[in-house]
Amino acid sequence: MRATTTPSSLTRLLALPPPLRTRTFSVLSRPPPNYPGHIPLTILERLSLAAGSAIGSLAKPYRHDLIASLGETTAKPYFLSRLHRAMLNNPTGRRILRDRPRITSKSMKLEELRQMPENSVGRAYAAWLDREGVTPDTRDAVRYIDDPEEAYVMQRYRETHDFTHAITGLPVIIEGELAVKAFEFANTLLPMTALSLVAIVRLKKVERQRFLEVYMPWAIRNGLKAEEVINVYWEEELETDVEVLRARLGIEKPPDLRDIRKALREQKRRQKAEREGSGAGAG
Amino acid sequence: MASSPLLVFSPKLFHRLLQLPPTLRRSLYSTTSKPEIYDVVCVGGGPAGLSLLSALRSHPSTERLKVALIDSQDLTTSRAASDTDVYSNRCSSLTPASLRFLRDAGAWDKVEAGRVQDYHGMQVWDGVSGSRISFDPLDGKNGAGLLDALAELVPGNRFRESRRQYGMEDKGVVATMCENQNLTHALLQRLKDTEGVKVLDKTKVESIQLGPEPEDKALDLSQWPIVTLPGERQLAARLLVGADGANSPVRNFANIPSHGWDYNQHGVVATLQLDHAFAELDRRMAYQRFLPTGPIALLPLPNNKASLVWSVTTPLAAKLKALSPPAFASMVNAAFRLQIADLTYFLEHVGTIDIADEFSWRLPNTSPASTGLPQSLPMVKAVQEGSTASFPLRMRHADTYTGHRIALIGDAAHTIHPLAGQGLNLGLADAQSLASSITYGVEHGMDIGSPWCLDEYVSDRWAKNNAVMGVCDKLQKLYSVQSGPVVWGRSLGLGLVDRLAPLKGMVMGAAGGVR
Repeated sequence: MRATTTPSSLTRLLALPPPLRTRTFSVLSRPPPNYPGHIPLTILERLSLAAGSAIGSLAKPYRHDLIASLGETTAKPYFLSRLHRAMLNNPTGRRILRDRPRITSKSMKLEELRQMPENSVGRAYAAWLDREGVTPDTRDAVRYIDDPEEAYVMQRYRETHDFTHAITGLPVIIEGELAVKAFEFANTLLPMTALSLVAIVRLKKVERQRFLEVYMPWAIRNGLKAEEVINVYWEEELETDVEVLRARLGIEKPPDLRDIRKALREQKRRQKAEREGSGAGAG
Repeated sequence: MASSPLLVFSPKLFHRLLQLPPTLRRSLYSTTSKPEIYDVVCVGGGPAGLSLLSALRSHPSTERLKVALIDSQDLTTSRAASDTDVYSNRCSSLTPASLRFLRDAGAWDKVEAGRVQDYHGMQVWDGVSGSRISFDPLDGKNGAGLLDALAELVPGNRFRESRRQYGMEDKGVVATMCENQNLTHALLQRLKDTEGVKVLDKTKVESIQLGPEPEDKALDLSQWPIVTLPGERQLAARLLVGADGANSPVRNFANIPSHGWDYNQHGVVATLQLDHAFAELDRRMAYQRFLPTGPIALLPLPNNKASLVWSVTTPLAAKLKALSPPAFASMVNAAFRLQIADLTYFLEHVGTIDIADEFSWRLPNTSPASTGLPQSLPMVKAVQEGSTASFPLRMRHADTYTGHRIALIGDAAHTIHPLAGQGLNLGLADAQSLASSITYGVEHGMDIGSPWCLDEYVSDRWAKNNAVMGVCDKLQKLYSVQSGPVVWGRSLGLGLVDRLAPLKGMVMGAAGGVR
């Protein structure tokens, strides 16, 4: 016979709502991982990791692992789900989720990319990698996202970040990275991209002015009007013409940052040489 | 006024004729036949009308009333289907109150019991947020509080026996699923057994009018509704009951306006085959998920069958009905188990994608926690051939249910959204209330068509029906929103009702038709 006494209404009322209830475990009794490399975190762990990563990545912007953990701990509850839904609403996005392609230095062979037609996406990507002196290293694996499919979305976002650099031509220096991050915030709404913009304080005055006048407006304008870049199946677009792809996505090419900086450096050197020349002449 | 054939034969006979008393004289040369006078004429042979007449025949005070039933369909063919594997797609969920009424009317024992399914719980969840409420009758029983719980713990207590009513075991039944044709067949059988009800089926009502002006000292039927049938047959009704559906001619005759709106939705119904069979004594559950396009409900039938009611927008209903049976089954599974983003994609591309394939990919990648999926939900294996159909959804409520010698019950009085399964139950409750008003009138020597008798019915039912319809309408509007603070608010509210047992008991009591 089934007992008719029910648990007290008060204790049930005080029970946590479902999304939080799943996280009520202690560090001594962590639930099993949902995928290889998964580390479930308690709320306190997540908050403190987010805070620590934010401070650490501001102090040392080259700590890519801190930026990665900042991204993962701040992406839930809403933002990563929104990005996931954006992928599910798009036929190409669904194909990406189904195939789950990974971008590694093995899957993107630089020798093949360099052979691709002039002005193609693959060629531009290889050219950008050579210009900046970086390689398509395997990015940090996602560890702190609970749902395996959302973890893949985060991983895909991280791995296609370099492609965004390639088709916009923005360099890896802080200014370029901030411009790409601003564009990604307007396009993907991930909070880490907005939080990274705090690094504006690390820019020199001239750089900051240039960023706020030129690159930030470009990023916001294009990020909002462009298609979701997460839905681009890059592996299939390697031979597409870059101009065609940019037009299809709705992205304008920003002014070349390296050229501007080079021109400014040239100008400064000339001015310095003139001053020294006149000073030497006078002295 | 045609003249009698006798007139032509002889003037002497004619003079003799003129000397007859007026009533006899008139009956000889007048061809306007006198209408047959009935106490109750019920137009409409649906469950509401039939149950009203069964209730009247079952009560000693009213069993001698002269009653007639008129319906344009052939009522003798509505016999219960004999094939145990095939179920009609029009099923209704009968609450315990409706069952008590049908038992009292003597009709429930004539229902084919093997085709009827009790269910013992309901799981309702929000498709967007996953928040859930489950109705278990042992949870929020009327009056089940601390004292009752303690009383049941006392060994040798006779508490449960004292709560048994009308021979109905307290098995914790939330409601009972019954095919509409099974129920109407049982009611018709009951009417045939009691005899004395004039059943005029296959008869279309040609017109309803008030009677002619009386010719001095003749029977005054000028305030009585007279129903004209084919063949110039006329029935005069002391009380004309309109149980004739949403476009009720009786309601039009009475000039009772009915207000409401269309939902721009269709209810898609089908009979489904589940992946495993249930035994007779298993506890069955009903499931309902609120999607932004409309709620989808799975109601259990005997063995491995279930009934589907899915409210969708009108163009989607057409697309769904056009799907092949395997694709439709996958779509139903998807509607219960996948996230809204997936479902929206499916419904948008319904003709162009392979639904079964997409579903088999998405299901393992959708965590049940994110959708609020109940663990006990069975998988749909197939759809019964030819059972997909749809009907438009709308809300209508008549301004009043009675007029002079007119009463409306069932769909003629109100039409409701099917999301709470209340439509037929409200109609049966109307019939019960009207029957008790008529009984009261007869026992106190009233004219049953007069307002003094009928007002009790209106005042009993109108406000209650209005409240239930209002709640269902607001629920439908509340759950059609897809994002934002409304979703958060309704999830919070649903969670609260789920946790507060007394509040949940109140909701269940209201839905179960407390009488």
